[in-house]
Amino acid sequence: MSVLWSDPASVVRRVALLAVGLVAWETAARSGWFSPLIVPSIARIGSQLGLLATRPESLVEAWYSLARALGGFALAAVVGVALGVLMGRSALVAAALGPLFSWTYPIPKIALFPIFIYLFGIGSLSKVLLIFLECLYPIVITTQAGGRAVNRVLVWSAANMGASRARILGSVVVPATAPFIFAGFRIALPIAMIVVIITEMISSADGLGYMVMYSLASFKTDRMLAVVVVIALIGVALDRLVVRLRDRLVRWDRLDSYYAE
Amino acid sequence: MASPDIAPPGSRSIGLAMLLAMLALWQIATRFDHPDFILSPAEIARHVVEALRSGELLPHVGASLARSLPGFVIGSLIGVGLGLLAGVVRSLDQLLSPVVFLTYPVPKIVFLPIVMLWVGIGDVSKIAVIALACFYPCFINAYYGARGTSTIMVWSGLNMGARRSQTFRKVVVPSALPLVFAGLRVSLALSFVLLFSTEMINARSGLGFLIRQSESSLRFDLMYVAIVAVAALGYASDQMLLLVRRRVLAWQDATSR
Repeated sequence: MSVLWSDPASVVRRVALLAVGLVAWETAARSGWFSPLIVPSIARIGSQLGLLATRPESLVEAWYSLARALGGFALAAVVGVALGVLMGRSALVAAALGPLFSWTYPIPKIALFPIFIYLFGIGSLSKVLLIFLECLYPIVITTQAGGRAVNRVLVWSAANMGASRARILGSVVVPATAPFIFAGFRIALPIAMIVVIITEMISSADGLGYMVMYSLASFKTDRMLAVVVVIALIGVALDRLVVRLRDRLVRWDRLDSYYAE
Repeated sequence: MASPDIAPPGSRSIGLAMLLAMLALWQIATRFDHPDFILSPAEIARHVVEALRSGELLPHVGASLARSLPGFVIGSLIGVGLGLLAGVVRSLDQLLSPVVFLTYPVPKIVFLPIVMLWVGIGDVSKIAVIALACFYPCFINAYYGARGTSTIMVWSGLNMGARRSQTFRKVVVPSALPLVFAGLRVSLALSFVLLFSTEMINARSGLGFLIRQSESSLRFDLMYVAIVAVAALGYASDQMLLLVRRRVLAWQDATSR
């Protein structure tokens, strides 16, 4: 990924592509062929974007979505890393939990949302727990793969130098698994965003997903597109944040692709 | 993505025992005082059989599949095709990759309202959004798969007189296949997630609609039936894809799968 960002020529190309896209949109909007309801002009989307960014009540909506997504993700990160490391290092835990995870992996967890609403209420809790459940799988799976792949010489050395099992887990296994853990995080974080927006679109009275549906229902397509832009920016920003964090914490391993198999 | 075949060999029986124990626990727990919306596994199984007999379920399954399958096929075909090409053609790479990687973390479901504005709220908008979501994992995996082709193999092919198109078909595509299947698997799972969300947001048929409708009319039996059907569809399609992968990638050794 870093390749895509470092090269100045590629930045120029990217800006040019963006400009072409915007010009095409604006031309379509001004041509009069489409209703402004279907293709609102960029100026109108921009002014809505300005309104969104300056009005405290819309910032609160964004905060709701962000807090739900990050809350569910954080929960999944803690539980997922713990489970994944244990499954990677202990044959017993892997035998007990592995089949359950691999059988339920292809089942769309989103279908459980109605039950979650009944169990945990229509507020934030049902959404956070669904995000937790959806994010748990990629984190557990990648962490376990990493836990298994830890260089055994490192573990032997630590054991030989008198480290306890807990110490080995904390000081050797977890750091050695970190690249995989971050690979899992990078898959899970967009999922958290997807699920929070979906659940807010389906049933909510707040959050960005709700704002999208509400603007559409009140035929304010310029506002709807502005919210979509905000959601997109948050998604990209969170992804960048994980990559930054990874590059700081996992300095020794600068893999270009996160598709570590 | 790493393949989720995380169950160690020989652990199937232990896993099955765990599963049965959980179901038994659930069954016993429902003997005590519990709210209406929790059904016991035995009740759910009975309702599933009833719904299959009465024909309440199958039309919705059909309606859902008629949306998710075309979406998955269109999205993954375009994704794999463009991904493979972008992996070998530099100008295409420079044109497409920045856009794809930049928009990848954006939740695709937000495009549903936009697409609905443009093509109406019928099936086409749902298929389009599902296809869009399926495009990304396929493109990214096919792209890395094609780029990861060993240069020696490509050189050998060219050296032995293969044309560029032949090298692409006989060297690049096969060596990208494992990652292509990884992408297809992620896309398949995504297609169901998107299917349910789009059907829950607006539809007059399909399993997502059935869940939504039975939930709001307090028909919890039907709600569980629909959820079981969703789970079964997700699981069965994943198994089918794995079966195809085992056939197509028979040459790949079992450990690296």
